[in-house]
Amino acid sequence: MPFLYRFVIIIAKGISFFSARLGLGAGETWPGEIALRFKPDILTRVSEELSEGVVLVAGTNGKTTTSLLITTILEHAGRVVIHNATGANLVNGIVSSLVRNADWLGRFTADTGVFEVDENSLPQVLSFMAPSRIVILNLFRDQLDRYGEVDVITEKWQKALSGLPVSTQVIANSDDPGVVWVTKSAPGTVTYFGVNDKAAFLKKREHATDSMFCAACGSRLTYDGIYYSHIGLWRCPSCSNTRPQPEVTGKPKVLTGLYNRYNALAAIATCRTMGISLGTVHKALASFTPAFGRQEELGKNGRKVKLFLSKNPAGYNASLRTVLEQKATYFLFVLNDRIPDGRDVSWIWDVDFETIPASAVCYVSGDRVYDMALRLKYAGVDTRRITAGQDLASVLHQALTAVPSGETLYVLPTYSAMLEVRKLLTGRKIL
Amino acid sequence: MKRHIQIAWLYPDLMSTYGDRGNVFALKKRSEWRDIEAKIVPVTLETSVSVLKRCDIIFMGGAQDRQQKIAGDDFLQNKGPVVQHMVEKGMPALFVCAAYQFVGKYYKPYQGDRIPGAGIFDLVTEHPGDQAKRCIGNTAAAIINPSELSGTVIVGFENHGGRTRLGVKMKPFARVIAGYGNNGEDGYEGAVYKNAIGCYFHGPFLPKNPAIADWLLARAVGDSLAPLNDDLERTANEAVRPQS
Repeated sequence: MPFLYRFVIIIAKGISFFSARLGLGAGETWPGEIALRFKPDILTRVSEELSEGVVLVAGTNGKTTTSLLITTILEHAGRVVIHNATGANLVNGIVSSLVRNADWLGRFTADTGVFEVDENSLPQVLSFMAPSRIVILNLFRDQLDRYGEVDVITEKWQKALSGLPVSTQVIANSDDPGVVWVTKSAPGTVTYFGVNDKAAFLKKREHATDSMFCAACGSRLTYDGIYYSHIGLWRCPSCSNTRPQPEVTGKPKVLTGLYNRYNALAAIATCRTMGISLGTVHKALASFTPAFGRQEELGKNGRKVKLFLSKNPAGYNASLRTVLEQKATYFLFVLNDRIPDGRDVSWIWDVDFETIPASAVCYVSGDRVYDMALRLKYAGVDTRRITAGQDLASVLHQALTAVPSGETLYVLPTYSAMLEVRKLLTGRKIL
Repeated sequence: MKRHIQIAWLYPDLMSTYGDRGNVFALKKRSEWRDIEAKIVPVTLETSVSVLKRCDIIFMGGAQDRQQKIAGDDFLQNKGPVVQHMVEKGMPALFVCAAYQFVGKYYKPYQGDRIPGAGIFDLVTEHPGDQAKRCIGNTAAAIINPSELSGTVIVGFENHGGRTRLGVKMKPFARVIAGYGNNGEDGYEGAVYKNAIGCYFHGPFLPKNPAIADWLLARAVGDSLAPLNDDLERTANEAVRPQS
């Protein structure tokens, strides 16, 4: 890498170091922003320095968990990994994680990069670099006001993937018709992962589905079974578009919830294409601790608290299903409408809150507390069992006081709400 | 007064982008809380128009482009004319976002030809060009029509590229307090024709604006309705009104 690029990294690192010392925060995004200002193609040059290549992880839900799973496995296999673990997944966040890893001479100790990438930023990231692998998890409606419609993202991704070299391997979800459609434009080999498990079929379809119609011909897709949202065993009755048989399937033992089975299968499939032995994979999975806010368990005054980040209908339904399987009774729903959450909270009406049992005790807070409380009312929750308030600290305190010892408070927050809840519970900020 | 009603939900699998079903939930629950049995009837591509004809209230929501194209042919040829007849006869109906545009005469994209609408409402929608800003954000407006609800403050969220202008047969629904409304120029939001309302307030419009839900329901059952405890609805409505 030319000295100039190394120099830019040293400068960005220096500024971020001093600002951290001065208590201004090290910044998850702006060291990268500084480096990008000086050298817009810094990502291209830096990614070439990583001898074992870069793995990108894309999709609406599961990016953070999947990229952490891949990182954990690779580290068990002796790799040195750079990873944007805090979820800063725009170009500046990825570059920031690189700057942080570099030493004071602007050199990298890592050999592999594992980066989760924001849906909108994927085309831009791919224009800067050709990853050795790209993982595509799923595509759901999410923050319509920010991302636009699912079809718009699909089209952008298809275009971006078509420009990749043959050497970029694609690892993709066979059970999401939208994802399979996107992968068709990639020149490299595609390895599919998926679930073959009749016992996991939904008995009743969820309302929040996005790709129920054939992307090739427009016919309504036929499903032999649905696992969640539009994820399942699909085929088009009118043309040749059909679910590919997944090469990687099974029921890996890590985390709970069907959606995490997909995340684990994605990580296993990815690591298999990198020649990592199955033994190493399973050893790594056994030691796995969840990413922040994703089924993370925190304690407060002897009460157990479990955080299930829930930021769009498909993810929220998956969270609800998982906590209800754990016989949850005490809930705290926190709905914010800041930029990272999406300004439009209409989507909560696509979540199946009707599945909450009558015995549930519900606490509600966040910027849009009354929107959420109203949603629960129309889902059939008795309003006398809903405690709603704008002051999160106070509602959290009330909820923790109400939970009997030995019981768990299940917290379902949107993104910025999750960070707030964590800060209140741990007394620390992570972002 | 009717004790059983059927709520036609047009294209729930195609025209339901962002929480649109909140509207049918609101209609159903607010009926049931008054001991009126309400059945949600999904009306989609394969559904016969005879099913639609038996309904007492109509709802149609927003859509993505691809899905709207799939629904579009069916609506223009099959369901649209039936809906038009029902609206002309005074059937209560709510059309939000894409449906609001689609029941108009046409939609003109910034490139290409006019896309014909069902012509149920006397209005047209044009996209002002790819440089034009989308109208996105939280909204509030004061109802003008129906006159019995005049002054009621409605709240919601809008997200549309097209600008809509009303023809002479339409009455404006509301005056914009915050947001863009029909076209960002004349200060009007939505349109009313007989007992049918169209608006850009998208997704779950009725839950936070229960007066509209009750106005539609009263027309469906043919009688005035007993009031409900709407404290939470009122709080939710007032909490999101922009500070002026």
